[in-house]
This record gives sequence, structure tokens and C-alpha cells, in this order.
Amino acid sequence: MKKSLQYGDKIIYMEGIIVDVSDGAVGIDLKGRLGYLKIPKRMLISDYEIRPGQEVGFNMSFIEQLTDEPNEAYVSNQINHSPRSGC
Amino acid sequence: MSISEQTAKEHANDPAVLCCRAEKGITLTSHNLEDPAIFEDLVDSGLLNLDGCLKISQVLGAVLTKTCDSLTPLTADVIDHIVDFSEEEENKEEGNQKESNQENQKAAPDQKKNPAAKETAKAEKAPDSAAQPVPPAFMKAPVPFPAGTLKISIGEGKNIHIELPMGMVPPGAAGMESGLMPAERNANSETTSREGVSAESVPADSSPADSVSAAPDPEPKLIRSLTRHHYKITEVRRGPKTKIEGTVLYIREGIEQEAIDSQELVHDLKIDIITPDAYHTYSETIMDVQPIAVKDGESELGSGITRVLDGVIMMVTGTDDNGVQIGEFGSSEGMLDENIMWNRPGAPDKGEIFIKTQVTIKAGTNMERPGPLAAHSATDVITHEIRQALKELDDESLIVDKETFHQYRRPGKKKVVIVKEIMGQGAMHDNLLLPQEPVGVLGARPNVDLGNVPVMVSPLEVLDGCIHALTCIGPASKEMSRHYWREPLVLETLFDPELDLCGVLLVGSPQINAEKFYVSKRVGMTCEALDVDGAFVTTEGFGNNHIDFASHIEQIGMRGIAVVGMSFCANQGALVVGNKYMTHMVDNNKSEAGIENEVLANNTLCPEDAIRAIYMLKAQMNGTKVKAPERKWNPHVKENNMDLISNVTGKPITPVLNETSLPMSQKRREKYS
Repeated sequence: MKKSLQYGDKIIYMEGIIVDVSDGAVGIDLKGRLGYLKIPKRMLISDYEIRPGQEVGFNMSFIEQLTDEPNEAYVSNQINHSPRSGC
Repeated sequence: MSISEQTAKEHANDPAVLCCRAEKGITLTSHNLEDPAIFEDLVDSGLLNLDGCLKISQVLGAVLTKTCDSLTPLTADVIDHIVDFSEEEENKEEGNQKESNQENQKAAPDQKKNPAAKETAKAEKAPDSAAQPVPPAFMKAPVPFPAGTLKISIGEGKNIHIELPMGMVPPGAAGMESGLMPAERNANSETTSREGVSAESVPADSSPADSVSAAPDPEPKLIRSLTRHHYKITEVRRGPKTKIEGTVLYIREGIEQEAIDSQELVHDLKIDIITPDAYHTYSETIMDVQPIAVKDGESELGSGITRVLDGVIMMVTGTDDNGVQIGEFGSSEGMLDENIMWNRPGAPDKGEIFIKTQVTIKAGTNMERPGPLAAHSATDVITHEIRQALKELDDESLIVDKETFHQYRRPGKKKVVIVKEIMGQGAMHDNLLLPQEPVGVLGARPNVDLGNVPVMVSPLEVLDGCIHALTCIGPASKEMSRHYWREPLVLETLFDPELDLCGVLLVGSPQINAEKFYVSKRVGMTCEALDVDGAFVTTEGFGNNHIDFASHIEQIGMRGIAVVGMSFCANQGALVVGNKYMTHMVDNNKSEAGIENEVLANNTLCPEDAIRAIYMLKAQMNGTKVKAPERKWNPHVKENNMDLISNVTGKPITPVLNETSLPMSQKRREKYS
């Protein structure tokens, strides 16, 4: 049973740096060594040609676990294949 | 902030709340009231409680019996009397009884007492305008035309032309029973309503019923026809030669190597033949589902004869050398039967055999343009050989069905265009347009290379596989090549005798905003040049493509053309932008939670969405207002609309199944524990 978010309304402004650009995806290092995010290009709103080094901003909240038990479907997919690589 | 008299009228049935402190003894006017548009936020945050609050129409003119602070909801105990209460109630009841009527006679645009709009779902705020031209009885189709007066109240506007035919008859005379919409001639009524006129164009709209009977529309003009010859396949085997014998398809052994050799980036390719008893098999992410079809003889794509195999489809899947899915991000790898929403236009039908290629491409190219294209091209080597075998068949007895699509232009009917936004950001966000053979590769041009500018195609070219979709992220909402082969909106509009479908405009969705606006301006200009009465704008998936989606609608709407937008939105795909022309929207969501649920084609455009969009566009073209959407996604709006349309047409709309019809995770657990 999935929980609902406990802290979902705690919106935090975040910034990151574009570090990886391909035809389909963009890799973003979150400032402050807070992680790495890779998103499809269509999830990035861009006014300019996308180039490494550009800064990006977005709002997010903390990520919360929704379940205790792993979802077997996703586990089995990882057994069948290596997990999705970040880049 | 206080509201104007006009706004108060538009919100007559919304809660009455004081905008600022008001002293005991004053007579309430619109200037004492707050704009209802902000109430939902206030209620959500607990700052406002609307229990027992009266409607705006019930308080205007009443005297305040107690001094109240700002943002005080007006209840019966703070005013001296409730205004006009009985009349409002009466109207409400009446409207409820007649909602179907309203939708039915499209001729009747919104008017004050016509709450049909409330049921009609989303969009524009129904202005409960001051002008009430018509007694409610007028709404009933079969009654004689009443000798009432026609009032037209124009708030503001310019270049308004109103033309009323003489000798009006009741609107029902050419009503839905005949399946014909009577308002085709009366384009002026839309013009007026678009200019912000609270025009009660009911009589104007309905009157053409008369002219329809007096001067029938010109005969529909047949432009071209497309015939599909269906060949049944019941078994797929490997053999020394690719051929079709009876209902058995043989695929040449060793063809894999040729497919691999054809593309530098392809390092491996496997063919799996998945029969229905093997649906519970692991698969890499499904990149595309394609029909296997070929043009007959010299026929060109979009006309003549197309031969197609029934009971079997091509399925493209794959990873790169490192095992990273080519359709990375929300990919649908896993058990086939748990990841496919059967019988969607773009998905396989349950019972079909899949010829599934598993393509391995060079590491790291899965996110570059050549990678996904190579996987598709390699698969097409196999498909093309099957096409050739199908083309060479010389046995008419193998044809199990013939299906002909006629493209008619219908002069005198409402002229509409379908604008389909397809992905054009690059990599797998691309589409190959107008190949030589249905859903082929040869001869096609990627729409990214075409600059994503609008390309006009005929509806029959769409249905004949003029789009080879590389398909992108979001398995649940992506439109696969097969989707276009069975595109529900094109089919429904093509067959609708009340609409004159002039073409399908394909426009890519570029990455950069400036490019998005560049292409959307071309869309607007094309629609202007086409002189259409209405347009559908559809998009697949969600993300920055919603920016150009919104811009297309704006560019079309600002030219006075009725426009309905269709997209997956619901919870997760909520639009990031909007404009004042985005008033008529249809949500393609089917998932329970309103999210991208990774089930292939689950949230794509289905016939039920096409029907809703068509009725919404017809309503808009005839000046009928549609109620504003609720602030948060509510799946019941869709259900209400389907009920409403069913009530009117007498044809029930059966909603398609969603992911809840697929095997549950418990089954997966048993399998893998």
C-alpha cells in the first residue's frame, strides 16, 4: 500500500548545472553536491540552445519512500537487465 | 477586489462573499463582492468557509442587516431577504431536465438559463448573460417558434456582423434525430460570441434549420479513396524464404544478420515470435508497434489499395550494448502482458502474434538521434521483406476483408482541420514522414530535419501509415506508428457527415521555445489561410511540448477559429502554460491515478476522446459555451460528458479499459519468488 506524501508541500527552490547534453536527454548536477538528475529533453523548458555549464532552476520537495516492500515488477526487470544507468 | 456588474452576472450562481468591510444597512451591489475565481484557493487554505453561503444572484439588491468584515460569506442571516431565489431554482431544475436537449441541438448556444453547459465539462466560463432572448420553452426542439423577441446584448466588440435569415423555424426541425447539425451556414454567430458578445444567438443559430431545408447543402465531393485488403495470418514460422502461404507467414532464417549489417550502430538483433500463449514473457522496452502493410501495384500512399496483414504486428524493442533501454525514461520493459494496454489504437490487440525484434545498438547511442533510428531501420529490413512477400501474393482468395475509406469534402458543412503535434526534440523524439510504403523508412523524411514546420497531409495518408513514429518517452501516452494507422480522431471526423475535414496538419515540437513559437505561428497562419471554422489540436505525452501545444491553440484561437485541445493531462501531465483560448480541452487520461503509469498506450487518444472532442468543437462552433474546468483534475467530468453525449445521440459510449484490467503485481510476485 502506497503512502501519501508527508512533506509534499515543502517546496524548495533548487539550482543545477547542465553537465551532459545528448539528443534526447540532459544531465544536471544539483548545486551543493546534492545529486545528479537526468531528464528527457522534453521535460526541460529552454529558451536557448542547451549547452553544458548553463544553470537551471526548479522547485522540488524531498523525496519520500512510498512503500516498504519493493515492487517485484521493478525488481524482476533489474534481474533481467542491468539497472538503468545514469548516463 | 470588487467585481463588475458583468462579472457578477457571469458568476450569478457562484458564492457571494464580501470583498471588503461593509456597513449594516447598505444595499449590496457587485462592488461589494469578491471575485469567485479566488475562492478555491482560500477554501483550500482554510481561510474561507462557504457553508450556507448564498449565490451572487441571491444577494444583489438585498440590504445588509449586519456590519461584516471583508471576505465574509453572505448567508441568509446577514441580509434582509434573498433575491430571486425561486427563479434561479426553477431555472436550475429546468436545465437539468434539458441538458441533453441542449447538446443535442447544437444550434442552441449557451444562454442564461441553460445549464447544459454545466454538464458539458470544461472550458469557458458560461456567461450568464444579461440578455435572455428566448424563453426556456424555445429549447425544446419540436415546439412551434414562439412569437417572442430576439434581444442581442453586446458588451464590447468590433466588426460584428449579425445576419438572421427570415422565416425562422424551431431549431429541432433539423435536429439530431436526423443526425444533422443545422447550423452550418451561420458562421456569424460564432464571430459575435468570440468577440465577447453575450449574444443570444439561439435564434440565429437555430434558424438555418430553415435555410437548410430550403436550400440543401451541395453534395459531398469525393476526393479520393483508400481500400485496405486484409490478409489473415494465423501462424508465423521461420523458413528458408520469406513468404506467405495461406495464413502462414514464413520469415527467412538468417535475415537477422542482414538487418544488423544494414546499420553501423546495430550490434545485434534477435527476432522473437510471440504468440498469445507466450504473452507472459519479459521484453525490453517497446519502442514501436507497427502494422505490416504494403501498397498494391502502383498505388501511392494515401490512396488506391493497401494490403495489410491481420493478426500479426511488428514490435521494435531494444537496448544499447550496456543494457540501457533505448526508450530510456519511464520505459515499459517487463512482462508483455503486464505492460501493454491491449486494443488501444496504437497497441497490439489481444490475440495477435508479435514479430518482436530486440535490437542492440552501440553503447551510449540510445540518447542520440542515430541510435533509435538505426534500431527502427534495422527492423524495417525485416518488415520490408515481409512487405515484398505480401506484395507478390497473387491469390485473391486470401483476402478476408476489404475496407474502403472515402475522403469527402462536404461543402456547406463546418470546415475543420486536425492539427497533430508530433515530437521533434530529437533522438527518439522524432517521426519519419511520408515513407513510400505504409510505416516504412525508405523515402521518409524525419520531421526534425524538416524543421518541425507544419506539413499538411490528407486524412487517408494518416490512415495509410504516413507517420513512422520513433516514439519517445512516456509509454502510456506515446503515439506509436500503429496509432496513426487507426487514429480515432481522424476516423471519427472523416466519417462525420456534419463536418468538412479539410486535412491533417502535422507539426513537430522542437526543443527551444523560440522554435516552438516559430512553428506555431506557421500553424496559425496555415489555419487562417485554410479559412476553417474549427480545429482540433492534439499532442502526445507531456512536458515542454505543452508550450507549443498551448501556442498552437492561441494562434488558432486568436484568429477567431473555434479550437479544441486534446492531450494527456490529468494529475501528472497538468498543463504548465495556458492562455485565454484554451477553453475547450479534452483529457486523454485513462489511468486511475491520472499518471503516466508505464503501461503502453494506456493514456492515448481513444474513440471516446475523439467523440467528446468533436462534440465540444461542434458546440463551440455553434456558440455554445462550455463550463470552466474544475481547479483540480476530476475524472468525473469526463464521465459526465460521455453520459451527456450518449443521452443525446442515443449511442452509448463504452469507456475503454485501463490498467486495472491487467494482471496484478501479485502474479509477478508468484512468478519470481
